[in-house]
Amino acid sequence: MSNFIVDNNGIKRYLVTINVNGIEYTKVVKANTLLVNFLREELDLTGTKKGCELGDCGSCTVLLDGKPVNSCLILAIEADGMKVTTIEGVASTSNLDNIQEKFLEYGAIQCGYCSAGMILSAKALLTENPKPTEEEVRAGISGNLCRCTGYINIIKAIMAASGQEVLN
Amino acid sequence: MEGIRYPKENTLYKKKEYTQIGQSKPRIDGVSKATGAGKYCGDLKFPNMLYGKMLTSPHAHAKILSIDTSEAEKIPGVIKVITHKDVPDLKYGISPARWDENVLCIDKVRFVGDKVAAVACVDEETCYKALKAIKVEYEVLPAVLDYRTAMNEDMPQIHEEYPRNINTEIHQLFGDVDKALEEAYHVRTDVFEGQRTYQCPIEPHSAISIWKDNKLTVYSSTQSVHYFQYYIAREFGLKMGDVRVIRPLVGGGFGGKLEPTGLEFNGAVLSRLTGRPVKMFYDRAEMFAHNRGRHQGHYEITTGVSKEGKILAAKANFVLDGGAYTSLGIATAYYAGGLLPLTYDFENYQFDLVRMYTNLPACGAQRGHGAPQPKYAFESHLDNVAEDLGIDPIEIRKRNARQANTNTCNGMGIQSCYLSEALDKIEEITDWKAKKEKGLPKGRGIGMATGSFVTGAGYPIYRNDYPSSSCMVRVNEDGTSATLYANAIDIGQGSDTVLCQMTAEAMGYRYENMKIVTGDTETAPLDFGAYSSRQTAYCGWACKRAGEEIKAKILETAGFMMHLPPEDLECEEGIIFSKSRPKVEPITFEEAAKKYFIIKGPLVGTGVYTVPRLGGYHKGAPVATSPSYSFCTQAAEVQVDEETGEIEVLHAWDVHDAGQIINPALMKGQVHGAFGMGFSETVMEEVVFNKDGKIINPDVGGYRIITALDMPNFTNDLIPSNDEPATPWGLKEIGEGSNNPTMGAVRNAIYDATGVNIATLPLSYEKVWRAIKEKKEKEQAAK
Amino acid sequence: MYLPDFDYYVPASVAEACQLLAENIDCAKVISGGTDLLPKMKHGLLSPQILVSIKKIPGLRKIEYVQGKGVVIGAASTINDIVFSEVVQQKYPSVSNAAHTMAANQVRHSGTVGGNLVSAVPSADMPPILMALNATATIEGPNGQRQLPVEDVFCGPSKCLLEKSEIITEIIIPDQAMTGSTYFKFALRRAGALAVVGVAAAVQVENDVIKDARVALGAVAPVPMRAKKTEEFLIGKKISDELLEEAGKIAASECKPITDFRASEEYRRDLVRIYTKRALRKAIDHGHI
Repeated sequence: MSNFIVDNNGIKRYLVTINVNGIEYTKVVKANTLLVNFLREELDLTGTKKGCELGDCGSCTVLLDGKPVNSCLILAIEADGMKVTTIEGVASTSNLDNIQEKFLEYGAIQCGYCSAGMILSAKALLTENPKPTEEEVRAGISGNLCRCTGYINIIKAIMAASGQEVLN
Repeated sequence: MEGIRYPKENTLYKKKEYTQIGQSKPRIDGVSKATGAGKYCGDLKFPNMLYGKMLTSPHAHAKILSIDTSEAEKIPGVIKVITHKDVPDLKYGISPARWDENVLCIDKVRFVGDKVAAVACVDEETCYKALKAIKVEYEVLPAVLDYRTAMNEDMPQIHEEYPRNINTEIHQLFGDVDKALEEAYHVRTDVFEGQRTYQCPIEPHSAISIWKDNKLTVYSSTQSVHYFQYYIAREFGLKMGDVRVIRPLVGGGFGGKLEPTGLEFNGAVLSRLTGRPVKMFYDRAEMFAHNRGRHQGHYEITTGVSKEGKILAAKANFVLDGGAYTSLGIATAYYAGGLLPLTYDFENYQFDLVRMYTNLPACGAQRGHGAPQPKYAFESHLDNVAEDLGIDPIEIRKRNARQANTNTCNGMGIQSCYLSEALDKIEEITDWKAKKEKGLPKGRGIGMATGSFVTGAGYPIYRNDYPSSSCMVRVNEDGTSATLYANAIDIGQGSDTVLCQMTAEAMGYRYENMKIVTGDTETAPLDFGAYSSRQTAYCGWACKRAGEEIKAKILETAGFMMHLPPEDLECEEGIIFSKSRPKVEPITFEEAAKKYFIIKGPLVGTGVYTVPRLGGYHKGAPVATSPSYSFCTQAAEVQVDEETGEIEVLHAWDVHDAGQIINPALMKGQVHGAFGMGFSETVMEEVVFNKDGKIINPDVGGYRIITALDMPNFTNDLIPSNDEPATPWGLKEIGEGSNNPTMGAVRNAIYDATGVNIATLPLSYEKVWRAIKEKKEKEQAAK
Repeated sequence: MYLPDFDYYVPASVAEACQLLAENIDCAKVISGGTDLLPKMKHGLLSPQILVSIKKIPGLRKIEYVQGKGVVIGAASTINDIVFSEVVQQKYPSVSNAAHTMAANQVRHSGTVGGNLVSAVPSADMPPILMALNATATIEGPNGQRQLPVEDVFCGPSKCLLEKSEIITEIIIPDQAMTGSTYFKFALRRAGALAVVGVAAAVQVENDVIKDARVALGAVAPVPMRAKKTEEFLIGKKISDELLEEAGKIAASECKPITDFRASEEYRRDLVRIYTKRALRKAIDHGHI
């Protein structure tokens, strides 16, 4: 159980340590602090977006111990001791990840608001399933809503990132 | 210095087609978006910033008796609470014909979600607590929730100034419709109904207002910094020069972010009163309540045709549900009928419409503006007519197809047009004839429709004589980059990218060396913004002209450096060479640009574009005019589960007459997205209200937009051309015409698959199930 | 949106969790995956002052086959744990497939099977298949452990028969004579959509005769329900298309759907008819799929 202190209003503040993109952050949070707000407000990692706040759109997708989850439905305190990967942690300092490269190459990004979540879902998919079928790609990103692209170029980009032939 | 070459032999003499346009250059904002580094309005933070939210009405129609903010003000962390007493009472609206909205409601509320009060607090959480603590006493009034009966004598009146809740009326007549119908071989009337849909961009609206020293700076998720600047300045009596509007990255708009909202106006007041930056935002449900999505409408269409299927006259009689305020609805109303004569050539046309006020969220401009639902009605109707006459759906369209260099009966001039070719092509690539002759498996059907859209609205939204678009280009002192300053707004469609491509093309430079400063009224010159598919053409003209000015200056300097007359020089991809003397060693753009700066100072080019006067002289003639129009055909093949009514689109095709393509990858993305949205609207989407006028599904779980599993495989095709004289390089719009045919194509495919005519959108599984069931029951009874 | 304030506890054992719940009987809620609870709290439908997290209690997140007991699924197993479980895929692919129809990937990685039961959403995707396979829930409270058939867990929309101090610790799918089972979900979008109708069927077939049948329906009654008249009708009968069609009709008549903005009562009934027929056919022909 996390340590906590009680503030002047009687609200408990909990000490959590969360590994985000390879760095351990120890912070004090309220129990009702959502992981998405922790990332955006406490760590200024604003690449994780808020779209619906109800787990319907996937904009806030992060990898929690490698699994894609909606960070709007995870309490920061639940992530205590866990590993979080956000979009800022996908590329190495000098190079884009292959998936990001392919997203650029295939015109898979338009407004970009869903892109972070989309790329993380793709990342999780290809980590578990390096050669997915097109149907598996569609299923893998079906929790990430995109209003701009009609998904076609995104699907192509992910197929290309898995080294498979992309039909035009 | 990558990309600079010094060819010993001048190999560039033979002019290549284009070097910067016509190619799928990667998006200029792509890396920032792919890495999460790019900042949207909601990602920005300022020191000492407050968070703001609005309290909205829980009633569809009610008098405000009192507002008590005292409890809210006591909550720790609540810095300011405002009501109508604290804000200007000047009514506003994006449509100058009807300014009917208040920053905060004064005496009554007109829909569930109308603005009542606003708070500024130290954090988001406190805002919600503060809103709960504001006590508003209402006297609930009977509400007008059905636009079809809103005009009835016994209906409550929503706005004092608008008797019988009529927001606007249109009556247009071209030619002699009655005579033509009388003489027609066949006359048919069909009635269709559309539903309310919502743009549903994935990024919620937000705005940060900073009012300091009599100057107001507003960061906003907007499609137009200019209209925001104009209307915000107007509301507060500020000089436009003292209002700075900045657009960070925008996460989709589709028409919903064209007009300023309570977020900007109330944020500004809260910032002025607190002296601190205030960030205001909508959550998803509030976005739905604010809405400004697609109007639902009742569409009656009558056409008279010859035996061969030639349309002799058409009559459109429409009623639109405008919601509680005008928003962009006047333009919507004119677009609804104005665009119908585009794809088919007929001389006699009557267009009547009323747009009704109701106690529901206001409707505005959604992708394709007023056109997609009327077009769905017309394309469905045309298939019905074709069936009556025993003519193939593509054939009847060929017989009526708009031709190049013609005028529509309502005064629109069309120059380049390849609709007939697009009809031929869609027939070919869908294997249409074979499918029609051999028939498709049970439950399978194929349908198609045509589409068209303005390449930019001919006139600005409020009357002014500014140019439509303008820009500046400044070349870096050493020539290694050039910056485009333009207030064209990239809402995801990719205007920043294509404008840089076009500028580089005109300059003889390289896209890869372009930078862009955009979406800031203080640094870049005027552009009306992203709506009516205008950015690529209008700002494209400005970019072309600015680029050409730079090129002329560069070649003059190069002529001096190379001892050759400038007329003999050409510049491509940053290499300046002699056209007549291949042996002369070329120099680089960078060298010449640097020299120019040393001699003359900043190397700057400017460009401007003003739309020429367009259209007829009848009332409403300006709407739907454009220098140029795109044309397209779309087809869909569907499989319907005849037991359950479930619809699957197996494949979809689009053939586009989009002129010169600037960026093929972005072009395809626009078509996919437009089809996806259109398909989603056809089958799934509907904003649903309860009996009190409250939205039942203000979330993306209940308001279903398609997922990756729902989108069909897709084929893009083109009728290549570049002969449109009214646009730079002969380009045409792509973003909105692409969803003009979608609903009709999908409907016609469902009809082909099932033989049932469903005349109301969305064509939900249940409606298909019910119609099939009723058809079977009828067939049983007939036996 | 925001969550109201609450205290958060991470008990180390089930007993400790039950004790915490018992001590805070009217103000505490269990949080497992949170995918149902947190949206309800954001909407202001629930405002517990204490959340007791059971997700990290040792032993609650495992899926194994126990001889003589059956397939035992720890209540804190995520929906995707079930989708990807080798044990489940081997014994009852139908359960794995049913789990895969739920929501979307992200939610399946967070949401748990225990949560899917106790949230008692009428359209939940796990209950019908678990009911068809006669699964039971192990429930622990301050007074010890008890077993409840899954179908008896629910007593109304968002209401279940657990005491406020009790938690579900595991779900047991017993060894069975059923030769086939399946779950059909009909929704209005292919992902991230609630079932408009969910139909699970399990059958024991011998020589073209249905020896035993269990049919469970989701989203067509206040709680996931067994179609008992349908089952009775089927048992002992020889399989034919007509038989299954008739079974569908009986199921349609015994369900109690409502009309909402997703679908009308009439449509839901007909979907029950169609999918009962289809589910039975699939379970008869293809085993546990």
